[in-house]
Formats: sequence, structure tokens, C-alpha cells
Amino acid sequence: MAEHLLEIRNLHARVEGEVTDILRGVDLAIRHGEMHALMGPNGSGKSTLAKAIAGHPGYEVTSGEVLLDGENVLEMEPDERSRAGLFLAFQYPAEIPGVSISNFLRTAMSARLAEGEEMDIFAFQKRLMEKLEMLKVDPSFAARYVNDGFSGGEKKRNEILQLAMLEPRMAVMDETDSGLDIDALRIVSEGVNTIRETHDSMGVLLITHYKRILNYLRPDYVHVMLKGQIAHSGGPELADRLEEMGYDWLHEPEAETAAV
Amino acid sequence: MAEGTMTGDTRTDTESAPAAGADAIARGLASYVRSVYEPTLLTRLRREGWKTFVDTPMPTRKAEEWRYTDLSTLEPESYVPVTCEGERLPVERLPEPVREAMESDRDRAGVMVRHNGCLEHLRLDSALEAKGVVYAPLEEVADHRPDLLERFLFRSDVAPMEQKLWGLHAALLSGGYFLYVPAGVDVEHPVHAFRYLDQEGSVVSTHSLIVAEAGARVTCIDEYVSPDLERESLSLNGVEIFGADGATVSYLAVQQYGRGVKHFSMQHSNTGRDSTLNGFNVTLGADLARADVTSHLEGEGARSEMLALWFGDRNQHFDHHTLQHHEAPSAHSDLLYKGALTARSSSVFRGLIRVAEGAQLTDAYQTNRNLLLSPNASAVTLPNLEIGADDVRCSHGASVGQVDETMLFYLMSRGLTRKKAERLLVFGFFEEVLERIPGEGVRSRIRSSIETKIQAR
Ligand SMILES: Nc1ncnc2c1ncn2[C@@H]1O[C@H](COP(=O)(O)OP(=O)(O)O)[C@@H](O)[C@H]1O
Ligand SMILES: [Mg+2]
Repeated sequence: MAEHLLEIRNLHARVEGEVTDILRGVDLAIRHGEMHALMGPNGSGKSTLAKAIAGHPGYEVTSGEVLLDGENVLEMEPDERSRAGLFLAFQYPAEIPGVSISNFLRTAMSARLAEGEEMDIFAFQKRLMEKLEMLKVDPSFAARYVNDGFSGGEKKRNEILQLAMLEPRMAVMDETDSGLDIDALRIVSEGVNTIRETHDSMGVLLITHYKRILNYLRPDYVHVMLKGQIAHSGGPELADRLEEMGYDWLHEPEAETAAV
Repeated sequence: MAEGTMTGDTRTDTESAPAAGADAIARGLASYVRSVYEPTLLTRLRREGWKTFVDTPMPTRKAEEWRYTDLSTLEPESYVPVTCEGERLPVERLPEPVREAMESDRDRAGVMVRHNGCLEHLRLDSALEAKGVVYAPLEEVADHRPDLLERFLFRSDVAPMEQKLWGLHAALLSGGYFLYVPAGVDVEHPVHAFRYLDQEGSVVSTHSLIVAEAGARVTCIDEYVSPDLERESLSLNGVEIFGADGATVSYLAVQQYGRGVKHFSMQHSNTGRDSTLNGFNVTLGADLARADVTSHLEGEGARSEMLALWFGDRNQHFDHHTLQHHEAPSAHSDLLYKGALTARSSSVFRGLIRVAEGAQLTDAYQTNRNLLLSPNASAVTLPNLEIGADDVRCSHGASVGQVDETMLFYLMSRGLTRKKAERLLVFGFFEEVLERIPGEGVRSRIRSSIETKIQAR
């Protein structure tokens, strides 16, 4: 086991085909079992970081490293990263008409078994029912097509349902709180806390620009991203300061001399 | 047959050679007619069909309707018409794929099996028989109830460009059934016909005639199966559906021929007042498959749902040609045709919504979606409207595209390999058609055939 579960070193990334970097040297290290919050104004690069970690084909990493438990994930395909234990709860999850949530999840779980093996249907159903109950979602939810016609809140619950089912080693949650009303926010947060209790080595990177969710989820560290770099890091109290004072008091770090 | 619409021999193009090989086929046909005892009605229709065939030039690619499927290479005389000699095979000796298919669907109102056009098995629920339902070979009905048969058989209004093959189909008729549901009778379970072809180098010509009288309800399934053939065989097929006032007919055709088959299906539904037709076409097999599907909305308030799916691989060519003909006011039609193509396969969709003068308050939709899974596959889509009334709602949409990258990434980000993710997306693409297909057994068989095709990529 490496010291850090997720280690991001001097990461530069841009939109595929563009000439300027959006991420301009991100450094971040998360140990097993830790929860880190990543805050920052809209457009600062938080989602780009999440997608670069997950291997989104629309983004190009121009330099730097991302290590999952010491393993370089940048050389892996997105599906390999997932099977290695990375999970991204998307800010804007895709809609997949015609594919039911349960079919999708069963296929995803089978993908973690040896070639040719299928997830046992009864074990799967039992687990699925447990997780749906934990998230206080009606069992009929699983028969619906993945995100097809879902409200914002339903999409977010579906992301957390997948997180609960797949139990990754490292979860990146991108604005899971937005689109959730206060009850849903509490239920989803409790769900995440439950997952962390039973699966205590899981690391979490919680991306948000509201402090609201931090009333339910207590991060060990808080980082602030400004213009593609981590501008400031601190303990949970940093979130309170941001709530009071906004982001303006944080001055931007020196810009890198040139994008590589 | 709609005599008035015949094209006649006005060709200018040498390719079209209307009587190419006509002598040979005429000899074949004559021997065919002599070899079977046949009620006069069928012989007469056969001869009329033959005349149409001879009098009509073979359509060339200059005709819009045949631009993407070349009929000039079709040589009807090169196929041997099937004949029926000997005894019926007992069920356990029916070809494996047919038995398998029969066993997977339990609840059926009736079953018919034809092997190279010959009747091997026929069953109809006796309770339905008592209610006056008829499910019988055309020749049998022609013997006992020619009056009834004559009212419907070959009575559909066939477009000029379809006449040539429609005529040939009638001339070579080698196995058809008549399904008749009297007024008010509700047939709960599907009536299911299997057509198995394994005679090399043959031509088989099947007909499905379905009549639902006022308020009747029935679901009817035709399945076409063959092994891979070495010498090409030709399959001609006519479907005529007549739904009287308030009748509901669901019709499903599943074509899963092997290699070495050319299949031409000409389907006509005639929907009466407040009558509903739910039509499905599943095209998976054969080297070349052409379906001409026409919905004649004849009665006010008629409804027609037209669904289709196809999955092409290797160098298969599928051509779907549809007409939603709104002849009466306040009718509704909704077409959704979805095709996926891989390897070097190709498909054509050409669809027309035609609203007759005076067919006010028409509600008509048409959608064709094509999913290309290989850079060498190609799809042509040609939706069209022809509107003769002013107070109508019509829309059409068509697309040809590849697998959506955003969806693909989403699935892969959950650990699915690209192949598994694509598989799920293909099924997702088909699902809105698949889920509406009547009959659990047949639906799951279609699914597993698609699965096999996906795995073979
Ligand atoms: N696919 C893209 N195409 C063009 N610009 C993009 C794309 N993704 C991100 N950006 C730009 O990069 C910057 C950071 O975006 P993003 O990572 O979404 O920020 P955040 O999640 O912090 O709100 C923004 O200026 C945004 O417009
Ligand atoms: Mg974002």
C-alpha cells in the first residue's frame, strides 16, 4: 500500500485540441480513508480535474501524474481506471435511454469478475435492494432507464447508488449536492457516510462550491481551486471562512511560466 | 389485384428485360400448376399474377423505389419452385430451429409450420374454432369458402413499382394461410407461423392473409428461418391484413434466414374505421432483404403503429420501403424504424407519409434512426411527406450516427470495456422497439439473435 491512495502531481490538462491548459499544475494527495473537499468558484477547473482523473477522452493531460495507490492511472483506459478502483460521480451524468439501471449495474459489477463470469442474480438483487433502501429510493427506480428523463436530484441519487454498489477505493464526487433539495441532500450524505463506515479505507474527493453539504459530510481537509491550481489548503474550518468571506481574499498563486 | 395501376410494357431500357427467362419460368410454372391439385380460384390468381409479372418491366435503378436495391441482377428463372410431395413430418422431426422456436413460446392460439412451403404442422385452439375463427392453408379455404377468400386475397392496392414482384409472388404462390377472426372475437394469445427453408436454389412464395372483422382482436407472428445455403434461394412473401371497423391486429414478422437467401416481403395493411394495426418487422437474416410495408388507413379514426428493427452484419443489404397512406380523415399513424449496421452491411430506409385530399386531422409521424457500428457500414435514409390536406399534423425525423461518445464514456467509467459498453448501447438503442414486440418467447429469441450478432463483431 502506497502512502497515498490518490496522488496528483503537477497536473496540467486542457480540452482536447485546445492550446491553453485549464489545469495549470494541480498537486493533491489523499490518504486511505480520508475525505477532502475541493471548493472554488465556477469555472476554476474542478470538473476538469475530475474528468482528467477519470480519463475523459475530451481532455488531454499535457503533463503531471495521477497515481492510485502508487499506480499510474494516466496510462489506463477509463474502464481500467474504474476497475482499478476509481469512481467519478458526475456533475452532469449522461442519459442512456433503453438501458435499465439494474441491467447497467449488473453489467458493471460483472465487469469486475473474471472473464466470462456473471454477477449472481440473487446476490445482486439483494444488494441492490439494500442500497436503494439506504438511499430511500423506490425499488422501481432500478427498472428505469439510466438517467433518462430524470430530474437533477434523481440523477445525483443514481450516481450515489452506483457508488454504493461498486464500492470503489477512491470516489470523486463532482457537485453531488447541486440539484438536491435539503431532504435529498441529507439522505444522500447519510448514504455516503454509511458507505464510508462499512468501507473505511475509501478515499473521497468532494467537489462543491457550496458549504451546505459540509454540514452533513465532514471532510478532513479543504482545498480551494482558483484558475486551475490549488490556491489554498486547510482544515474543515477553511470551509467556514469561505462561507463568510467568499473567495476574493485568496490571491491567486503565481501563474506557471508556460504551459508545457 | 389493382389492374389499373399496371405499368405495361413501356420500357426503354434494355436492362429491364421484362420477359427475361420468361419462357423458362413459364414452363416451370406450368409444371408447377399441373403438379398440384388446386382450387380454381388460386389457379386464376396465379395466372393473373403471372400476367402481371410478364406485362410489367423489371424496375431499374432509375426508379426512385429501386435506386438502392438492384433488381436487374434478379433472375427468377434461376430458382426452382418448391413442390410438396410425401407426408407431413411429425413435430419431433421438424428442423431443430423450428422446434426450438416452437418450444419457447407456450401460450399460442394457433401454430403453423411450413417447410419449403409445405405444410408440416397446423393447430388452432378448438375453442376459437368453435367461435368461427379460421386458421387454414389458402388452398383449403379456396376449396371450402372461395367466396370468403375472394373478398380479400390479392385485393390490396399495390403500387406500380411493386407490381412486378407482387405478380411473381402470386404466380409462384407455394404456401399461404388465411387467418379469419369473426366480429367481436378476441384471440388472446398469438397465432404463430414458422416458415423454414432449406432447399438449395429454390424459390418459395408465401402469403399471410389476415382478416379481423369488426371489433375483433388478434396477434399474428410470422417467422422465417433457414440455415446458410450454398446455392441461393429466393423468398417472396405477401402479407395482407384487413381490419374492419374497430378491429385490432398486431402483426410481427421476424426474418432470420441464413446466408444465401434473398427475401422480398410486400406487406399491406388495410385499416378500417377506428381500427388499429400494430405492425412490427424484425430483419436480421438473408443476404438481401427488402420489405415494402404499406399501411392503408382507409377508415376514419384508423390507427397504425409501424415499428421495425434490423441488425446488419457481413455484407447484408436491407431495404425498407414504407408508405403511410392516409386515405380517411382523423387517422393516426406512427412509424419508428431503427437499424444498426456493422461490418460492410448497408441499409436503406425510404418512407412516405401520403395524406390524401380531404384527409383532414391526420396525425402522422415517421422516424428512422440508424446506428453505424463500423466505418464500412452505410445507411441511407429518405423520409418524405406528400400532403394533400391543410389541417394535419405530420412530422418526420431521420438520423444516421455512430455510438454516442458521452454515453460510451459514462458506461466505461463504470468499468465496462468498450465492447461491453457498445453492446449495452446497441440494446438500449433497440429497446424502445423491442419492448413493444408481442410475445415474451419471440422477444427473447430476437434478443439472443442480436446478441449473437454483436458477439460476432
Ligand atoms: N469541454 C470544454 N470545452 C470548452 N471549455 C471547457 C470545457 N470544459 C471546461 N472548459 C472550460 O474550462 C474552465 C473550467 O471548467 P470546469 O472544469 O467545468 O470548472 P468548474 O467545474 O470548476 O466549474 C471553464 O472556463 C470552462 O469554460
Ligand atoms: Mg464543475
